[in-house]
Amino acid sequence: MSSSPSPASRRPTGPLALGLESSANKIGIGVVSLSGEILSNPRHTYVTPPGHGFLPRETAQHHLVHLLPLLRAALAEAGIAPSDLACVCYTKGPGMGGPLQVAAAAARALSLLWSKPLVAVNHCVAHIEMGRAVTGAVDPVVLYVSGGNTQVIAYSEGRYRIFGETIDIAVGNCLDRFARVLELSNDPSPGYNIEQLAKKGEKFIDLPYVVKGMDVSFSGILSFIEATAIEKLKNNECTPADLCYSLQETLFAMLVEITERAMAHCDSKDVLIVGGVGCNERLQEMMRIMCSERGGRLFATDDRYCIDNGAMIAYTGLLAYAHGETTPLEESTFTQRFRTDEVHAIWREKEMPVMTNIHTDAMAEVSKDEASMPTPIIVDS
Amino acid sequence: MAAASFPPASSSGGWDFTCNFEVDYGSEEQASIIYKTLAVDKELQPDKVKREMTLSGSKLAVHFAAVEARFLRASFSAFVDLMGLVTKLVEEYGVAKEGHS
Repeated sequence: MSSSPSPASRRPTGPLALGLESSANKIGIGVVSLSGEILSNPRHTYVTPPGHGFLPRETAQHHLVHLLPLLRAALAEAGIAPSDLACVCYTKGPGMGGPLQVAAAAARALSLLWSKPLVAVNHCVAHIEMGRAVTGAVDPVVLYVSGGNTQVIAYSEGRYRIFGETIDIAVGNCLDRFARVLELSNDPSPGYNIEQLAKKGEKFIDLPYVVKGMDVSFSGILSFIEATAIEKLKNNECTPADLCYSLQETLFAMLVEITERAMAHCDSKDVLIVGGVGCNERLQEMMRIMCSERGGRLFATDDRYCIDNGAMIAYTGLLAYAHGETTPLEESTFTQRFRTDEVHAIWREKEMPVMTNIHTDAMAEVSKDEASMPTPIIVDS
Repeated sequence: MAAASFPPASSSGGWDFTCNFEVDYGSEEQASIIYKTLAVDKELQPDKVKREMTLSGSKLAVHFAAVEARFLRASFSAFVDLMGLVTKLVEEYGVAKEGHS
């Protein structure tokens, strides 16, 4: 879909890694340096027709077709040869089995062909590390929101601990499935189209609000709005825009609530939003208001970084590699279930002074009174 | 390059649906990389589908046995698709291109 600009001319010093990501409907391959510089990060999204989700088999087929062209592009854009790499990283999980297998197998083959060590990476941890590297957030409470995951996370004693999470479907799944009810386009993503339509919403429709302690539940809300939508639209009681607006407001309010509670638990003032839903500007705005009321800052990134990509896998793998961790070939499997707190984030224990390459252009460090919304994310020319 | 055979059903303990094929990569090293790459992932339903791979020189032989045709079909097609990608990678970045940017 999109890729970052690549200054092939200025080669960063230090080790480089290649990262392959294919856990859901995007396949991405990126090259990064340990200082967090992204040399290339091309990706391709499997977009299904309106009203349809993506199925494992078809998605894997899509990834098989696009892997090699993306790999060529990633290397060419970065202006490097395989011999310049320190390691090959891939997403071990969580995600959909068939799609995950594509990057795992490709990474193994490349590791053998190029005689480079393999590093298996947890997808959720990769989102967090990418967010930290890009925004410069040091130790934030992390809200990880995507089509497959919804978690409130904070680092403590070697691991990213899950403070709260969804007890059923992910927030992005709830939005995507509602987009299917309205038959919105899946291009570039259903969530984006809901966000645009929600801007035209005028009437707020009461929906269930389901926060259970530190956890949230979305499936009941989805069932409710699926039934309500058909009924109310038929009777001309509301518009699709009103429904999108009401759904977003309700879901995001729930997320802001549990994030705020995690902040109180951790005595932390900073919040970092990562994952595909994290580029929703309304979510960022609501979170920013909460953060500013607590005297904290919100860190978020734009679609280049918060949507699944290869660079986040490369960067996180490289952090592990720099601390002596690699994955033997026989253990280079993939797994559909792989919780965030299973990973020993060894690089957080002895933090390296490497975060020198903050991408100010991609950063939405929204702390002060920036009244007008459009997030201060400027796509560089 | 590859030959598949579907022998008639026999009373081989329920593993009645089989498929064998062999690929000659013309290079021991390439065949070995493909073998090692594909050997990591086990069949997800070992009670329904079995897969055995044998490497001999530059030839990679694959044997599938399943209890039902649909399991054989699913495993076989997924495996061959992945094998296609790995083969392409080996062709693109194989020995011939080593050291060349």
